[in-house]
Amino acid sequence: MNELSQLIEDSATRLFEGFATEQAYQTMESGEFPQTLWQDFVNDGWLRTALTEEQGGAGLGLAGGFTLMRLAGYHAVPLPIVESLIATYLAASSGIEINDELLVPALISHPIDQSSDLVLSNIPWARHASGVLFVFPVDDQLHTVVIRLGDLTISSDHNMAGEPRDEITINPKQLIANNTLSGMSVEQIYSWLALGRAAQISGALRKVLLRTVDYANERSQFGRQIGKFQAVQQQLAVQAEMTSAAICAVDAAIAHLDTEQEWELIACAKITNSEAAGYAAKTAHAVHAAIGFTQEYPLQLSTRRLWSWRDEYGNEGDWSSKLGRHCMQLENDSLWSWLTTQTT
Amino acid sequence: MQQLNFEPVLTAEKEEILREQVRDFLKQYGAFKPGNMIDSWSVCDPEFSRCLAKKGWLGMTWPSEYGGGDKSYLERYVVIEELLAAGAPVGAHWVADRQSGPLLLRFGTQEQREHFLPKIVNGECFFAIGMSEPNSGSDLASIKTHAERVEGGWVVNGSKIWTSWAHACHQMITLCRTAPATENRHAGLSQFIVDLEAEGLTIRPIVTLAGEKHFNEIFFDNVFVPDNRVVGKLNDGWNQVMAELAFERSGPERFLSSYQLLEAAIRVLRQAELAQQADTIIGQYVARLMVLRQMSLSVANQLQQGKLPVNEASVVKDLGTSFEQELPEAMRLILAIEPRPSVDQGIQRLLSDAILKAPSFSLRGGTREILRGIIARGLGLR
Ligand SMILES: Cc1cc2nc3c(=O)[nH]c(=O)nc-3n(C[C@H](O)[C@H](O)[C@H](O)COP(=O)(O)OP(=O)(O)OC[C@H]3O[C@@H](n4cnc5c(N)ncnc54)[C@H](O)[C@@H]3O)c2cc1C
Repeated sequence: MNELSQLIEDSATRLFEGFATEQAYQTMESGEFPQTLWQDFVNDGWLRTALTEEQGGAGLGLAGGFTLMRLAGYHAVPLPIVESLIATYLAASSGIEINDELLVPALISHPIDQSSDLVLSNIPWARHASGVLFVFPVDDQLHTVVIRLGDLTISSDHNMAGEPRDEITINPKQLIANNTLSGMSVEQIYSWLALGRAAQISGALRKVLLRTVDYANERSQFGRQIGKFQAVQQQLAVQAEMTSAAICAVDAAIAHLDTEQEWELIACAKITNSEAAGYAAKTAHAVHAAIGFTQEYPLQLSTRRLWSWRDEYGNEGDWSSKLGRHCMQLENDSLWSWLTTQTT
Repeated sequence: MQQLNFEPVLTAEKEEILREQVRDFLKQYGAFKPGNMIDSWSVCDPEFSRCLAKKGWLGMTWPSEYGGGDKSYLERYVVIEELLAAGAPVGAHWVADRQSGPLLLRFGTQEQREHFLPKIVNGECFFAIGMSEPNSGSDLASIKTHAERVEGGWVVNGSKIWTSWAHACHQMITLCRTAPATENRHAGLSQFIVDLEAEGLTIRPIVTLAGEKHFNEIFFDNVFVPDNRVVGKLNDGWNQVMAELAFERSGPERFLSSYQLLEAAIRVLRQAELAQQADTIIGQYVARLMVLRQMSLSVANQLQQGKLPVNEASVVKDLGTSFEQELPEAMRLILAIEPRPSVDQGIQRLLSDAILKAPSFSLRGGTREILRGIIARGLGLR
């Protein structure tokens, strides 16, 4: 573990552990917001993780943000960590004053058609936000504007883990170019959201592995711990391999933020994590058997998230196709030289 | 549960300059035989190995007092991955450079180092690995080849099998039983440096299913090994073998054996009209390769720091060999061509070679099941 992860883990673990209560999940899954948890999170300054010190933040950058998201994934924190951190970062970057309210991002990549209402689906946690931070292009420039919830229509939906994934409808006339975001593209911001999910997945993968190994060492059948059966060991070994690869891919993407290779390594991270998510969930449930199939047993808190997160902000197929197309279009025979730039 | 550590590491300018030097060298050297490009680290070409020696690319990480290059493991990594990706025939010196030399550096006597290392560095001394026997594969501790104490040394009897390139090598690190097994079955094993021209030693080739003279059976009939050819501590051979594993299992040869096929497939698909449907598959495999490179580099860096990440090496090997085995399976589906061993070049030949050689990828150096067992032990399950 590098210094940044160690620092964040040391200081946020206790907070996140406290969040994982049955009541918090019930609150969230019944459509309410775990307000006190959110307040604790904000009061400890974590919302400003990625902001610079001049912006009133912790100065840990997006790298720090993604590291925190991984920890949140490990603890299955029922809060909009990825969306709030990234929206806050974008808001601050475009000069909007930060007052620690919950903002979630909504990205629009195409020029806006003013003639009809704009409908955006899969906007995480929108119903609980103070405002939605719209990012949209006007001519060759990205703009941001915060629209208050009262000025939007929200239709509630949620993913398999019960996390809000809402649909918002807005009259495009409200999207008045106010603040500009320079040096970024909608595609890049989308890739950060994907990396946020990948980071959460990698945290959840670690948790699922630990849980499953512990269970295999506790549960006995035929007079011995089930972890002593080779069939079980071999499956868990593969789960550990895929988990290691997933964590490494996120680390590599974090190490390449703000470099030319940024999107490629993010693509790789989302592919690797989304693939591992399915394998880990399947194996963990096989090893836990019936007890893991209950709502009471906490494995489902991680696996329902894994099954949801692997498809959000692009699944492994979407990102593979993008990465593959890129590789197919490289100049003659340059796959290898392209590959080797990915570790520079 | 032991944490598996794959902290990413980036290459710096020093390594990238070296990379360019290897690329220039390869360009000047000219094309390799297409039929040798799959699994090129199993292709033995002593001439080529000596060319690399002249460039200073054998024994790169070893101290200069033994003729080594005093380079880092990352620099070595860059050189070997360039050679492997290009399909260069690096088999002759591979074992000596990868593990026998480092073994002698770690456990050998001063005389052994001074005697062997400069020769390896010059491409004049190739090593084979003599571990497996007809009745001892995965269960290596059960080997029967034994050595008896005689005046001035040891006399070895028994046989080894599957010994890659023994017929082209000069020396073999040979694992023998030198004392009866105790309650600890791993006790009583020792490593010897055996001269492959020694009297009483017979090498019989075994042809692989791909039609290659690659490995051998070796018979020991009262072969004398002098005392000064015992490696490290007598009866502690098992621990020395375990120390080699981090070197043996973590390198880029564990996932690049069929890499040439991926490049060729992209070339062919680019011309084809249906290329778009292949994007996803190509992207999936490229992503796997990206992570494998990162993980393998991370292990190289840990070796540089003096660690012996044996569990991490097992992870790289299992993920890596799965990758290089599955790659031909995926490519044949998107290419929709028939493999042809009969043609000299082109994608049909690469596909054929990859399919025929793939089974060995997950066997040599410890089978998939054994590696997963090691990982399971690291998880605390055994
Ligand atoms: C191309 C090639 C090159 C080689 N080069 C060399 C060389 O240079 N020097 C050398 O010493 N050896 C070499 N080997 C031998 C290699 O190390 C062995 O093949 C390997 O260790 C497996 O041994 P085995 O073939 O006897 O299979 P076995 O050990 O008989 O295994 C057969 C099957 O049983 C499984 N199995 C065995 N034990 C267990 C267990 N405890 N739990 C679960 N499953 C188990 C194995 O995984 C495998 O699937 C080479 C092999 C190949 C294919």
